[in-house]
Amino acid sequence: MKNFKRVLGILFVLGILLAAYIWFFVINKPHRNFETAKPDITMNARQCYNEASENKLHPGGKVLEIYGVPSSVEKSDSLVVVVFAFKEGMFGSSGIRCSMLPDNQKKALALSTSDTIYIKGFCAGYNGTDVVMEHCSIIQSPKNK
Amino acid sequence: MKKFMLAAFVLLMAVPTFAQRYITKNGYISFYAATKLETIEAKSNQVDCALDTQSGFFVVKALMRSFIFERALMQEHFNEEYVQSDKYPDATFVGKVENLKDIGFSKPGTYPAVITGKLTIHGITNTITAHGTFTVADGKIAGSAKFPITIGDYGISIPAPVVGKIAKSFLITVKVDLNPLK
Repeated sequence: MKNFKRVLGILFVLGILLAAYIWFFVINKPHRNFETAKPDITMNARQCYNEASENKLHPGGKVLEIYGVPSSVEKSDSLVVVVFAFKEGMFGSSGIRCSMLPDNQKKALALSTSDTIYIKGFCAGYNGTDVVMEHCSIIQSPKNK
Repeated sequence: MKKFMLAAFVLLMAVPTFAQRYITKNGYISFYAATKLETIEAKSNQVDCALDTQSGFFVVKALMRSFIFERALMQEHFNEEYVQSDKYPDATFVGKVENLKDIGFSKPGTYPAVITGKLTIHGITNTITAHGTFTVADGKIAGSAKFPITIGDYGISIPAPVVGKIAKSFLITVKVDLNPLK
């Protein structure tokens, strides 16, 4: 009887630990940190855009690190987007659009459009006009080398 | 992808006057569904949208992987099991403003709008009608609409173990700040 109670107690504790593990590390596991993630692809921004638009590269779902000279930085509401524009199309300029992480937005707004920068983030894919990147961070620029 | 580009090209080039075309690449779409057991909510802030104010043609395109969920696991399931983002990477809407004559795109104000068109999700296309508004101010057009969709209509099936947890109808919210195409 004593052993049975001990086994029951151990099973109860293990059950609690298992439930806590599933709750915190499976159901509510944190989003991937793309700022520290190892890139799946590192390449020149223009080359990346050209290959994606020619269907030679499928960057969707991958961690992408691109480098090049940004064309502009757009701000709207809480969104800051670094834009690498390479072509003019029916929806305006086409290229790579990088939506910056909140703690990288200030740095992005201060970017110069004459310096080469490196940006890393999660690539949502190519939408027919642009390569779209989310959760982006500036990982290297001439100012913070 | 090619079908969308062709449709958008044909629709938007139908009246090739640049001042009549408004676009954004930072459009917002969210979807929301709730049961007593589970609330599903996600949003995307990098949605392409174009409006031709002369013809009323209206085009929206969102990459499925650009939708951000509060829970990482839910986002994984959404992309891998439900909408199969590798196979069907985007959702598109190609339609037309039905009550174009009632909207003064050149005059500031807020106008009710009715838009009918073809919505493609998960490779399946259905005709939908959405009610919303266009607000014209400072040379820009802000559009917003809310409409429900039934995920079963788009061939998205819910696995048996969670069928009671997930709502079958989702409320879609669209907000776009359109600027004239220069």
